[in-house]
Amino acid sequence: MPKEGILKKREVDKMTNLENYVQAFCETLEVSEEQLTGLKYQDVPLWDSVGHMNLIARLEEVFDIMMDTDDIIDFSSFEKGKEILGNNYDVVF
Amino acid sequence: MITGKNIVITGALQGIGKETVKVFAENGANIFACAYEEQQDFIDFCGELEKENHVRVIPVFFDMSDNDSIKKGIKEIQKEKMEIHGLVNVAGINKDALFSMITQRDMEESFQINVFSQIILSQYIVRLMRKNNTEGSIVFTSSVTAMDGNRGQTTYGASKAALIGAMKSMALELGEIGIRVNAVAPGVIMSPMTQKLDRDVIDKKLEVMDIPRLGTTTEVANVYMYLMSDYASHVTGQTFRVDGGMR
Repeated sequence: MPKEGILKKREVDKMTNLENYVQAFCETLEVSEEQLTGLKYQDVPLWDSVGHMNLIARLEEVFDIMMDTDDIIDFSSFEKGKEILGNNYDVVF
Repeated sequence: MITGKNIVITGALQGIGKETVKVFAENGANIFACAYEEQQDFIDFCGELEKENHVRVIPVFFDMSDNDSIKKGIKEIQKEKMEIHGLVNVAGINKDALFSMITQRDMEESFQINVFSQIILSQYIVRLMRKNNTEGSIVFTSSVTAMDGNRGQTTYGASKAALIGAMKSMALELGEIGIRVNAVAPGVIMSPMTQKLDRDVIDKKLEVMDIPRLGTTTEVANVYMYLMSDYASHVTGQTFRVDGGMR
């Protein structure tokens, strides 16, 4: 087992990353956790273009990242978002 | 008018942008002064404004022709964890050439810096504003050339007209979240850009102005200040000519 000190910060935080991700969705889009699986852009009233911007702003704040426009456009669902954050921004879920 | 607001200003190294930094600092705003080239004189200028006005004037360096560089600059701003209230886009380039001498390369460079980068930068700034649900203001710097035309400025005028088009659509989309978007269209202003003009060209311009003198960078900065302030709280989607009544 590697010592905690040599783990990347985001790996250390991995127990809370999913919670933070879920919380960002629930609070920004005003949905329950049960609604998140399979949730897609424009499935709920608050996930419109403005809601999308709010969601991205919240995720950037939570994970201390600045996302590329292409990734923001590709961020089309709850699952796709996790994939993008994991692959392109080293957020470990 | 703008005391306590935190505002990002681009093109801050010289001319209208530099004067806007000065005017805003003197009026109590904290500023991210964005310039394309790290220069000690400019860093000193920001430091002096901080001391004299008891505000923060943070120099940020990035290249508007490079999207990765813009992103790096935004990360510098983000690192300060300050609520952002506004963006004044002053950065721009002017590639004068008569119509038959315009090159594809010059057109691409002009549109990259005068239009594309300003929209990209605005996207980032709006996201910073949304972190705090801030109701803010964005101002673009267009030009009277966008509306009136000018010999040798086909590319410049086209890029500045494109900014007005972008501004109007952004105003429509961002109004519902309380972000106002406007443009300022300077006429002939005393700045490093106009110093390159022939005296004859300037004299011809003065003949068609109600106020027959060159404008000052301060006069443009004052209009930005109004648009950044809450006095303009119901003003969006507009282009303000600062041209001494040019006809």
